[in-house]
Amino acid sequence: MSLIKRLKSLFGGESKDVIKNKSAKEAPVKIDIESKDEYSSADEITEEKTDFSVTKNSTTPKYKESTKIESKQNNFKKEDTIKTDTGITHAKEKKLSNEPSKKETFEKEDADKTVSKIESAKDEKLSIDEPVKNEEPVKVEKSESIEIINDESTSKEEKDSEDDVSEDDVKLTVKENEVTEEKDKKGDKMSLLEENLVIRPESVDKEFTQLFVDAGIDTVEHCFQCGTCSGGCPSGRRTPYKVRQVVRKCLMGLKDEVISDPALWMCTTCYTCQERCPRSVKIVEIIKLARNEAAKAGFMAPAHRATGSFVIKTGHGVPINDATKTLRKKVGLSELPPTTHSDAKALEDIRTICKATGFDKLIGYNMETNELME
Amino acid sequence: MEIAYFLGCIMNNRYPGIEKATRILFEKLSIPLKDMEGASCCPAPGVFGSFDKKTWLSIAARNLAIAEEMDSDLMTECNGCFGSLFEANKELQHDSVLKDEINEVLSEVSKEYKGSINVRHFAEVLYNSVGLDKLGELVEKPLNLEVAVHYGCHFLKPSDEIGIDNPERPQILDELVEVTGARSVPYKDKMLCCGAGGGLRARDKDVTLSITKEKLDNMMDANVDAIVEICPFCHMQFDVGQIEVNQKYGTNYQIPVFHLAQLYGLAMGLNKEDLTLDAHEINSDPALAKLVAELDANAAE
Repeated sequence: MSLIKRLKSLFGGESKDVIKNKSAKEAPVKIDIESKDEYSSADEITEEKTDFSVTKNSTTPKYKESTKIESKQNNFKKEDTIKTDTGITHAKEKKLSNEPSKKETFEKEDADKTVSKIESAKDEKLSIDEPVKNEEPVKVEKSESIEIINDESTSKEEKDSEDDVSEDDVKLTVKENEVTEEKDKKGDKMSLLEENLVIRPESVDKEFTQLFVDAGIDTVEHCFQCGTCSGGCPSGRRTPYKVRQVVRKCLMGLKDEVISDPALWMCTTCYTCQERCPRSVKIVEIIKLARNEAAKAGFMAPAHRATGSFVIKTGHGVPINDATKTLRKKVGLSELPPTTHSDAKALEDIRTICKATGFDKLIGYNMETNELME
Repeated sequence: MEIAYFLGCIMNNRYPGIEKATRILFEKLSIPLKDMEGASCCPAPGVFGSFDKKTWLSIAARNLAIAEEMDSDLMTECNGCFGSLFEANKELQHDSVLKDEINEVLSEVSKEYKGSINVRHFAEVLYNSVGLDKLGELVEKPLNLEVAVHYGCHFLKPSDEIGIDNPERPQILDELVEVTGARSVPYKDKMLCCGAGGGLRARDKDVTLSITKEKLDNMMDANVDAIVEICPFCHMQFDVGQIEVNQKYGTNYQIPVFHLAQLYGLAMGLNKEDLTLDAHEINSDPALAKLVAELDANAAE
């Protein structure tokens, strides 16, 4: 039930013209395809068709509403993430070896891309469009407009498209895009929706969501995306960390997106979100478990591996130093505290525990040399 | 009442004056603090809890098992240790499957977690088991200080599990501070995190310092003489972090930082060397000078 599918169609538009597509309800599909060297348009479309067929089987109507909300959030997130990369220094992340394409796309200069548009439904899309005509009228919901001010102070107004997915059919509507002003020179993009923002079935990992439920954090399913959490988040005010979005993605099973995002590590675990959550979602527990998965997948900052190594080496995350030893003696305390620092057997216990749980391997620690491995 | 005294890391390995003041305080209160021989890092909730829950729980359970062997409730004066050990204790007490899993790990080091003790925070012990009246009797030198009280995060939250005080508008620490004669000054976003937790200080100091600066800005606006907290990690963040904020933002903040135990130490007449205030990055002298001036004025009357 956690497998959510959202279909994103890409919005089309001419660079100079204002396009008003008034026949949205007839469900013509406009698709922007970012033409890349390695893809032909046909390839893209074929790929999308595959997605739809998977969707039919896996989507339940239950999450329709929230899925839409998430898709909007996604747009915001991308913008923020891009900002981050220039504004905030993150520790370098190891890339997941099985997910290189996402990163590559992310790093690409959008401005250099050429965007070609295919207007109106293609023959290939008939399989998608037909059900729409046969179903009840497609719900058209006006969403918040998203305004982006780019460096040339150009603003775009966009109406979100909405995906309506039923158990049997996939209905896809793409609503009009309105361009209220001249677009920026950088590209012909009419939409915030980048190719790399499209969520495809292969990004959805049901087991990821199940992890939270199994760990007793089934309250992840109670979230109705009110945003109270993000509103109170001290890190959210200054970083791209969007706690509401992380919770949503965890519920959707977007494992790779969640665990590869450095912003996941911007939470100070202050619990403000969790305290204020009107649905009593155990948000901090969600974040910590998501981080556990990130750590397993290799997304662990060198500084954090170092902290982990201190505990294996000394039993303390912050071990004693010479200055403090002197200070302790000066005030009449034992030079070493009565902890693992003065108890070799106790330290061995800690090392044994770390071996038993695989913590040494997790952080890449060599028990023989007592050092972190490169 | 006897207490299994859990040290943790930062207090004993960086700010031993906090430990010293606590030992003296509890001696005066006739409450024995028994050392937990061979205890380790708690381990930190937002750091180890974020890396691997099983490792976090196993190491925490080992610490809890040491206190269980001593048949005493465990006390810590670090919010991080409190959060970790309290949460681990609660989770293991209520999940027998998890408890068995963790005990399997502990069996390799001949320990067993039973779930027989409580985890308590220094400030909560003082408030609930000692009481403000008795604490007031210990005050030899009333402290004429305007203080920014910093609760930190893991002392009160998650409040549905910890239940010490209201997490948004608590009183407990303000009352504990004011019993010394100091005044807890209201300031903006008092409940804001210090910025250090969750592994953020290690991983992204810029973000951490940005939060710390906001906190310090608000304290400066309230014109306080000192910061009082109950967490050595917050303590370090306001002490070392304040210098880092000054370097990063070109500010010149010099707000002295006292752990509650050190504040009581001052009220009991201990000197700054006993409290290792002289080893702080931020000079405590302006606050101490104010205290001395107050005492001189009183003596002259």
